[in-house]
Amino acid sequence: MKLFNRFLSVFCVGALVVFSACEDDDPTPENVPEVITRAELTFTAIDNSSAPAVVVTATDADGIGSAEELEADGPINLRANVTYALSIKLYNDLFDAGEEGYDVTEEVDEEDEEHWFFFGFTSGVFSNPTGNGNIISASFPNNGTVRYADEDDDGRPLGLLTNWTTINDNSGSGKIFRVILKHFDEVEKTDDSTSDDGETDIDVTFVINVTQPS
Amino acid sequence: MLHVLKAVFTFFLLGYAVALVAQTNCGFRLRGRVLNESQEPLAGATVVLTEPSKGESTNQEGAFEFRNVCAGRYTVEVRFVGYQAQQQVVSVPQSDDVVFALVVDATQLNEVVVTDRRAENPVSTATVITAKQLEAAPGKSLGEVLQTVSGVNSIQSGPAIFKPVIHGVHSQRVLILNNGIRQEGQQWGAEHAPEIDPFTAHTITVIKDAGAIKYGTDALGGVIIITPAELPEEPGLGGQVNMIANSNNRGLTFSGMLEGGLAKPGWGWRVQGTGKYAGDSRAPDYVLSNTGFREQNFSAALGYHRKNKGVEVYYSQFNTEIGILKGSSTSNGNDLVAAIENEPPRLTAPFTYAIGQPRQEVRHDLIKLNGHLSQGAHTWQVQYGFQYNERQEFDIRRGSLRQRPQLAFDLFTHTLDVDWETAHENRIRCRGINGMFQDNNKIDGTSTIPFIPNFRHYSVGAFWIEQFRGPRWDTEIGVRYDYRLYDASGFTLLNRPYESQVQFHNMSGTLGATRKLSPGHKLINTLATAWRPPNVAELYSAGTHQSVATIEYGLLLTPDGTAVRDYRDSNVRPEQAVKWVSTYQWTARAFSLEVSAYANYIANYIYLRPRGVNSTIRGFFPLSVYTQTDASFLGADLKTTWQWNRELSSEAKASWLRATDERENDFLIFIPSNRVELSMRYEPHRTLGTARLFAEARGRYVARQQRAPRVVRMPDIIDNALMGRDIIEEDPRNFDFVAPPPAYVWLGCSVGAEIPAGKTRMTVRLAAENLLNTSYREYTNRMRYYADEVGRNINLALKWAF
Repeated sequence: MKLFNRFLSVFCVGALVVFSACEDDDPTPENVPEVITRAELTFTAIDNSSAPAVVVTATDADGIGSAEELEADGPINLRANVTYALSIKLYNDLFDAGEEGYDVTEEVDEEDEEHWFFFGFTSGVFSNPTGNGNIISASFPNNGTVRYADEDDDGRPLGLLTNWTTINDNSGSGKIFRVILKHFDEVEKTDDSTSDDGETDIDVTFVINVTQPS
Repeated sequence: MLHVLKAVFTFFLLGYAVALVAQTNCGFRLRGRVLNESQEPLAGATVVLTEPSKGESTNQEGAFEFRNVCAGRYTVEVRFVGYQAQQQVVSVPQSDDVVFALVVDATQLNEVVVTDRRAENPVSTATVITAKQLEAAPGKSLGEVLQTVSGVNSIQSGPAIFKPVIHGVHSQRVLILNNGIRQEGQQWGAEHAPEIDPFTAHTITVIKDAGAIKYGTDALGGVIIITPAELPEEPGLGGQVNMIANSNNRGLTFSGMLEGGLAKPGWGWRVQGTGKYAGDSRAPDYVLSNTGFREQNFSAALGYHRKNKGVEVYYSQFNTEIGILKGSSTSNGNDLVAAIENEPPRLTAPFTYAIGQPRQEVRHDLIKLNGHLSQGAHTWQVQYGFQYNERQEFDIRRGSLRQRPQLAFDLFTHTLDVDWETAHENRIRCRGINGMFQDNNKIDGTSTIPFIPNFRHYSVGAFWIEQFRGPRWDTEIGVRYDYRLYDASGFTLLNRPYESQVQFHNMSGTLGATRKLSPGHKLINTLATAWRPPNVAELYSAGTHQSVATIEYGLLLTPDGTAVRDYRDSNVRPEQAVKWVSTYQWTARAFSLEVSAYANYIANYIYLRPRGVNSTIRGFFPLSVYTQTDASFLGADLKTTWQWNRELSSEAKASWLRATDERENDFLIFIPSNRVELSMRYEPHRTLGTARLFAEARGRYVARQQRAPRVVRMPDIIDNALMGRDIIEEDPRNFDFVAPPPAYVWLGCSVGAEIPAGKTRMTVRLAAENLLNTSYREYTNRMRYYADEVGRNINLALKWAF
């Protein structure tokens, strides 16, 4: 019995220590490496049209939490009847430039067999490809194709680099251009993978205008 | 303020230490015997003691004993097959044995099947799930077991996660007392089930009125009390072994218990452990991939009980790992569309025991120290509880982060309860103080912005209850005062630190009266007020968590979610509830009826309300914001039993509930729909050898929830958002992504035998659940968006008690 009492007293003293030991202790911030805060789309003319390059960005300061709404600049003002190469860069601005984790493009490139960019657009913007792209959506039936200019290690499309030829008139104004990056981890990326499979890394939409130079 | 509180806590603890060393602790015993008309002992009779409701059975000598009984007046009721039930009012302390001489029930020589026993607290509507009923739900989780009580449902997240709902309210509004200690775990999502092993329970009591003032704030909906069996006091060894196998998830459960008394009289101990191992469940048409689970629980108790004093130490640990349906994992609103539309769910794979992402790992530890002492009419009790809860949620993540949890928190809780009861002839007075301290910290290294902040929580409360018992009326009146402080430091969605302090204090009260009508008839009325300060998740949540493709903002977040407002500048208020419950009971020989009607009005009711669509770089997410409204819950529960003849009995239960968002005149989401349950039980009078056989059939009809919020389809939300229109913001009424599932009928049956062999007893039970293998969905299961409920399950349970 005495032993038991002693045990209890020791326990209670222990509990007291726990109480007084709680003097703390601001939480340490976490690195948030999975986040993409900025997507940069660069359209560069690859024919001899000498059309200027067009750069648009979608910025989401917090990436995940959406405290700050996504701000997509643009519109994407392309010149009619020009073939552009679209190159996509992804960044995590919660890191400083140069820090590991800042340039997410590198990661996507390294894990290319786990990633796939899908594109959706209003028909009548491009002469090649035609249709609506390959995103499955009610408003953009995926009846189109995308000209992928790169591939992953397994020879499947990736989409960091794609080619686009604009229509040859003025009708392509106020249209929509949407990019989805899918990440295939739980499900494998296969030839049949669609924009409905995998996890979404980015999903951004821009207004696109195609005009003839006046 | 903080320092003062800390001092108060330290004082409590010191006082407690002193009290323990001075060895001042205990309770009374109430002993008795049950005999028949020829003065022969009746073994196995059921003896029920009122408030705190306890049940015992008589031994071979017809004797029974209740330990740790506080001074006061009680009603003791004895029931036995073929005899008329008998009640006696006894005073405690009582030096003589209470003797019951039961009279054969001439008109009805058969058993009244006691499936649901009323606690005889004069002024409370309580239902007890007896040890026997627990036996009939072998290996089920706590939330699942509780569903046997009419008026109690659960919010489910897949086949293994059940969160109890009493009269339509849930989560923090239902208080769970585990072994006398207020259960504290992390509460920031509907997928958090109580971390309790039902095998530790001897009985479970559900108090459905808000009058549980003794136990603290928050009990707006009711209280669930989990009571283990009393520890042995005499030398000897006993125990039981349970083995359960399930066909549907190919799961096995094993639970064992061993108890005994030490050579020194008064000392008793018990150790108990449970292990569960289950793979994927199966709906009638497909495997519910990644719904397996594991559980390892352990508990040990040591106690000393003497005539008027006692001490007890209890330790329990609960560990679980539960898979969440793969097909419910979504990374944005668009994925949610695909997840909802795909049938069978996405990522459905062949059966496996393996658990992948998403999944959760939860651990809960409880240490309890209890001491009580009685002297004359007075009983003092001191109880200290320490709880540790670790919760980690793993989601589908990238690369090297795959093995890291998305969310991980540690919660430490200390509680101290001191109460003092004085029992006179017709009057019982109880007063006490409660203190609680909590410390919650994120576990570093998740590489995500924490969903809730680190916080410390200090609470103190005091109550005073008076009970008067008269020949026709029993009345109770009680008041309570509480103070609570949160001291939080977390990160905004921009990963910038913030600090916040919030204080609450409030009075609450209860008023109850029971009118004893003619013999067999009784009317219980209670009116209680209760309050509940918002919990930390409701105040500070920011972001998204497991398989909820929704962003959630707490009450104190600014509209853009980037900062936390000062509580004093906000219009956030604690919830205030007024709950009225009237229960009419009619007990006749072969028939019983109980009807309860209730009205619960909760002002400042806190819930997640859809506010709009947030566009993020990952696409569109619905945004839900914790909002306050006034809600009303009107309902009725009905239960009736018939004894058709000596071998056949039946039971019918029904519950009806109507919940309304009074401010917006709208419906609330996830409100259990109306339901009816019928069961028949056949127990042949003749035994097979020594074995007593039984067969049971059960059917449940669950209506479609007609009072559900409107439906807004996710594709419409997204397509409009693409065009720059936020259709949720335009019409911010409550909504749901899919319509409530249709009504369904569920059938089950079981057969079994009880085989006494010397001093041991063996029970075998073979049950079929969802007998017809019906495909259906339950409105209050979050899995309903993605998949059907579990199909047919054959359950074999063996129990050996020695």
